Amino acid sequence: MRPPNSEVSDAIVVKGLTREYTSRSFFGTVSKVTKALDGIDFAVKKGELFGLIGPNGAGKTTTVKILTTLLTQTSGDAYILGLDVRKDLYEIRRRIGIVFGGERGLYNRVSALDNLRYFSDLYGVDPATARERIPQLLKAVGLADRADERVEKYSRGMKQRLHIAKALVHDPELLVLDEPTIGLDPGGARDIRNMIRELQKQGKSILLTTHYMFEAEELCQRVAVISKGKIVALDTPSELKKLVRDISVIELRTYGATADYLEALKRLPNVVRVVADLDSEVQTIRIQSPLGADLLSQVTSALPSDAKIIDRTIKEPTLEDAYLRLVEE
Amino acid sequence: MGGLSGLTPGKKTEGYMARRGQVLKACIVLTAKLFFADPQWVIPSIIAPFIFTLVAFFLFGGQATSGSFLLYLVLGSGLMGMWGTTIYGSSNSIGFDRWNGTMESTLAAPIPLSWIALGRVLFNTFEGVINAVFILVIGLVWFQVGFGVVSPGLFFLASVSTFLSLSAFGLLMCTIILLSRKGGFITNSMEIPVYIATGTMFPVSILPIVALPFAFLLAPTWGIEAIRLSALPGYVGLATNYWEDLGILAVETLAYLGAAFLLFKRVEAYAKRNGTLEEY
Repeated sequence: MRPPNSEVSDAIVVKGLTREYTSRSFFGTVSKVTKALDGIDFAVKKGELFGLIGPNGAGKTTTVKILTTLLTQTSGDAYILGLDVRKDLYEIRRRIGIVFGGERGLYNRVSALDNLRYFSDLYGVDPATARERIPQLLKAVGLADRADERVEKYSRGMKQRLHIAKALVHDPELLVLDEPTIGLDPGGARDIRNMIRELQKQGKSILLTTHYMFEAEELCQRVAVISKGKIVALDTPSELKKLVRDISVIELRTYGATADYLEALKRLPNVVRVVADLDSEVQTIRIQSPLGADLLSQVTSALPSDAKIIDRTIKEPTLEDAYLRLVEE
Repeated sequence: MGGLSGLTPGKKTEGYMARRGQVLKACIVLTAKLFFADPQWVIPSIIAPFIFTLVAFFLFGGQATSGSFLLYLVLGSGLMGMWGTTIYGSSNSIGFDRWNGTMESTLAAPIPLSWIALGRVLFNTFEGVINAVFILVIGLVWFQVGFGVVSPGLFFLASVSTFLSLSAFGLLMCTIILLSRKGGFITNSMEIPVYIATGTMFPVSILPIVALPFAFLLAPTWGIEAIRLSALPGYVGLATNYWEDLGILAVETLAYLGAAFLLFKRVEAYAKRNGTLEEY
């Protein structure tokens, strides 16, 4: 059943969407059924920049694949611009643009120009329009000077900008951006985020999946948090942050902190959560606690003698703190 | 960067055949560019044909007493090369996207996958034509084979028909690769049996009776017959004439195409259900 007329103003409508993956043995008997999506519901308004965030395996990619007509749902309904993903796949594909993150999706042995010409033909762009539009797009994404070079010579950031151009070559109404900044250096990621902002200003509807919470917080008007195949929260980033307004965050930059130190921090009374990146030389440790600054002396005294705190700050909780609470509950 | 505002709005190509024509052209051009971008293209297109021709001449050349027999060998070698390229290239037409990481982008296009594959298969079969032309050139120049075909017009028609039948067969092979990541084993293993069954080098008439139904179901068998009937003076092959060969070739080619388009539809639906097509 198609959505009622009032809902056609939505770019995306998802109702009770479920997807199961079935593993079969050599003899064809069902050995395992995994529920990747468990009856999710959400809607994205036209012109909205909507974020879908969640840990690996939460169901983000499965959702994106169903919405882009690359995968069939087990049950439930999904509509893109009022069109049914089961029945109207070619019309949907004509009206959406997809950006896949990572190295996927480009022909590396030919030039950016060749890639864009190919995809514009595949999407049925009138050749005269393509002749005007492709150079404009290459200029817009800063690749005009290197349009004739093979894509294999491009940096990761340049490839991702080409991905954006590719997704826009047929002037889609809805953009689905699947981890568009993954693996990019800070400058490259900033360029992509600026483009996303600009596209939203132009009135494009955008569905963004990302691992980076600050990115979702910075860009998205609303965010759905997906965990274990279910939407566990859906709201604006500022409303989601209110879920953790009972805590403060102590952010430490340390030198020489160890896993034992993290364990000691977790054992401190009133510590809700400790998140750390110990891989780099200077480590960042975020400690969530309702005590805030009152916890600082205990945090300092638990530090091993050969480690050092470079910097410490008391911060308001971010979307990441809310996200961690949501997905760990 | 110049900013994303002020872009020319996306006007679309209208019309069923215009859309498909545009896709076919795009896929042929891209496949050609990818083919020539890899310097190894000389191996299947120049080196392999040279080896085919040499082997054929060492096998039969000593027995050759007339120019027409040498031409028989050259045509057979050419078709072997053409088939070899078709079987490798065409079956990988879409399989290539799987390991190149472009499968999702290809599948997400607003056109049935079969049309994308057809465009690529057409160029991949054309690679076989390049191969066959090289064999002819080697035969003509190196081995001094006279190229006095009986009826150039009919020879051309038979060659184009065989090219199209090989493309249709390649499209069918493509679905095997799509169904299974190990489909390459099946298509590759068909290379030699098809050489033998279609009579590229040995006449079909010497095949055991049990193998004949398989030979007759392969459209290239009839294409090769028609090519030889139009090229070689006094050629006697199967008990069919030129137009009968072309008729059977056309029917079988259409059957391949019908089966391929139907299978593509099913494979796409299967892949969407299982979500495995882009896995490599």
